[in-house]
This record gives sequence, C-alpha cells and structure tokens, in this order.
Amino acid sequence: MVDEKELRDVVKKTISRDDVKYVVGYEKGTYGFQATPCFAYKPEDAEKFIFSPLCVHNLTVFPMLEEKPPLRKGEEPDTRKIGVVVKGCDSRAIVQILQEKGLERDKVVIIGIPCSGVIDPKKIEAKFPGHIKKVEVNDEDDKFAVTVDGKTQKIPKDELMPEKCKTCEYPNPVLYDILIGKEIKSKKKEDYKKVNAFEKKSMKEKWDYWEKQFEKCIRCYACRNACPLCYCKECMVDQLNPQWVRRSVNLSENTAWNLLRAFHLAGRCIGCEQCERACPMGIPLMKLNKKIEKEIKEMFEYEAGISAEEKPLLAMFKPDDPEEFIL
Amino acid sequence: MKDFEPNIIGFLCNWCSYAGADLAGTSRMKYPPNIKSIRVMCSGRVDPIFILEALKKGADGVLVAGCHPGDCHYQSGNYKTNRRIKLLKKFLEEMAVNPNRVRFEYVSASEGAKFATIVTEFVDELKKMGPNPLKDVKV
Repeated sequence: MVDEKELRDVVKKTISRDDVKYVVGYEKGTYGFQATPCFAYKPEDAEKFIFSPLCVHNLTVFPMLEEKPPLRKGEEPDTRKIGVVVKGCDSRAIVQILQEKGLERDKVVIIGIPCSGVIDPKKIEAKFPGHIKKVEVNDEDDKFAVTVDGKTQKIPKDELMPEKCKTCEYPNPVLYDILIGKEIKSKKKEDYKKVNAFEKKSMKEKWDYWEKQFEKCIRCYACRNACPLCYCKECMVDQLNPQWVRRSVNLSENTAWNLLRAFHLAGRCIGCEQCERACPMGIPLMKLNKKIEKEIKEMFEYEAGISAEEKPLLAMFKPDDPEEFIL
Repeated sequence: MKDFEPNIIGFLCNWCSYAGADLAGTSRMKYPPNIKSIRVMCSGRVDPIFILEALKKGADGVLVAGCHPGDCHYQSGNYKTNRRIKLLKKFLEEMAVNPNRVRFEYVSASEGAKFATIVTEFVDELKKMGPNPLKDVKV
C-alpha cells in the first residue's frame, strides 16, 4: 500500500518548483468506484491526491493531449515541465514516447509508484451494481478490501484485476525521477495463454468472432483518445485525402479502423489496456495488441517501452531477421 | 469457381523490381495479366495501410517486391519492409485472412524471368485460395 502522505508531500514539493507547470495525479471521483485524473497547479491542490487500486487511468496521455495554440506576438513559449504520477505500466508508455522522441526527457517529471495491481472498473461495477455513494478500497496482499455501506468485504485479487495485472512483469516504474515507497517484487510472467488458445481456432471461427465484435463498434474513437501512444497530429482516420477509412459505421469500415489502429501500435503498445477500458461497447481490443506483442517478442526479441535509447522496432532492422526463404 | 481470375496489386520498387518487370516485358516473357503494378520509389514506401486498403477494396492478393538485401538504393528500405510485412502476415492470420494473400519478394532489375515465375505462381496459388473474403463483407 502506498503512503498517501508521502505522495502528497512529493507532489507539493514538485509543484512548488518554478520549472513545473502542473502535476497530474488521481483524486477521488464524485461517485461509486471512481478515481479521476486530477491536476495540481498550486501546492494546496496536492491535498486532493490519492493512490488506491481504483486508479486505473494511464495519465501519460495528458502531456501528449495538451494543446499548444500558436503564440501571440511577443509571447514566450511555455517551457515548463509537467509532472506525471505513473504506475509500472504507465512508465513504460513514457519510455516508449521518449524513444519515439514524442516528448523530451527534461519536459517531464516522473513520480513513480510501485503498483501491485488495480481494479477493473467493469468487473467491480458488475459485482456491486449501481453504487453512487463513495466507497473505500484497500490493497491487502492478495486481496482487495472493499468497504461498501460500512461493511468490509475481502475479495481475492484475481476476481477484480484486469488481465494486464494478472500477468504484469513490470510492477515497478521502469523510469522515474522520484519513487514513492519501496520497489516490489513480482513473479508474474506473461505467457500469452489466451493468444495461443485463440490461434488454434480455425479461420472461420476467428472471422465469426471478430465479425461479431466489430459489428458492435460505434467508432467513437475512445480507444484512440485513451491511448497514450496515439498522439499523431493528424490521425489517419481523420485524413480526407487519401481517405483511408470512410466515415460510415459499418462492418467493413469498422474492421478497417480496428485493424489499422492495432497495426499502428505494433511494436509500440505497452499493454496498459486503456483502449479496452475506454471502449463503451466492450470490444476486446487488447486481444489484437497482445497478438502483435507476442509475435514481436518471438520474431524480433523486442519489447516496447523498456529502453528509451533503443530505436523503434519498425524503424530499424537486424541482418538476422527471420526469413521465409533462402536467397 | 473455375474461371475465377484473381486480382493482384503489385507494389514494385523503382530501382529493382519495376525494372525487373520491365525486363520481363521487353524480353517478351509470358506471365498472367492479373497483376496491376504500382511503382513506388522503394519497397520501404509501402505502408501496411496500403496493403490493408487494397485487401479491403477487394484485391485478392498483394505482391510487394523490392531489391535484394544489401542492394537497396536507400540502404535499408527493404529490410524494414521485410519486418513490417512479416508482422502484418501474422496479424492477418489472427484476423482470419489467409496470410499467403500478401507476398514479399526480392526481385532485382535483371530478374525478369524470376518476376514472371513469381506472378505465375502467385496467380495459381490465389486461384486455389478463391476470392478474397473481405470483398464480400457487407457494407
């Protein structure tokens, strides 16, 4: 469990620095099982900050989402840093962005929190439907202690954790300026069990499955906006000339969008599951991302979001890349 | 399905493969007319989005041809395409599209005969596979 006092002190210290514009963290949501992103511009704002298993969001989207309007005459560009509170998986997103040179290292202050797993909002919502009052959730070794209406229930972590946490190999931030609490050890390993199981299905079964999933898609692009790595200035679905994906919502265009989205994240997706969390229609988008992740690991022995110095996967090559045929 | 004629889009690199295809033509080699060639400056120019777009619009197969390893006019374009296409094929498999509909080959400017055999082979293979299922996806 993270010491929230330590977190608030660190945030207060960070925001008091002259070269920091704001710090993004989590605060208690307005109702139910919610934590919402919270911005601290003044040292007093730090009092709102929390960290609990309900803090599922990947806050690294915020430095990337920030709009930079054209400067007025005589105006100086704002070169101050942005502070971000990150968990293990979120820190990998930052590393990946740094690797692609989407951000400069000295433009962010990374406040790292070792995380032993969060709660999937959809799963807890299904267990305690329609809760409007605020609730307490605490992390207790292998259980979550959920306090609803004054009664505390202990629920095994496996029942509430999202898939990513069950196989998380990086509970500690890969990159940070300030670490809160102690690093934790994890023995979990990604074994791609689900990917392997899906691979064994026949072509027909696979297509029937995806047809059903993509028919649901309403193309709200929430998956894109929640993704810390979807930060192109102009997304290819918004392009009109050439228009890769037409505006109409039908199976053919939905399939095209979901395929292109997943492939654009090839070698970049760090598996924070934000796309799936944001999807209002419950499409298992991570299935696509995981498949690509597995193939990359097998073919090119590469993992996204580990080292900021390495070159991006698809921008480099090795002479011993696998070949299908001999020349 | 006997008289099914597959539609192939070929992305040919300007420096090697397009010249190779040219050579096949000027030396009057025989190969099926199913391929529609698009000249690109380098096989590295071929974004996977092009291939997916071609398949979506109903192409039965996509051929990407570039220079032999080490021969790329831009040093390393073909190596990068190799990576991308390999990944795309694995991904298409997951999406229930036969990955053999996409093909990446090395064809140099002097290999007119190789180009002709590749196209002939590819057409035969696609004829066995039948039309692209994505073509029939209802709109």
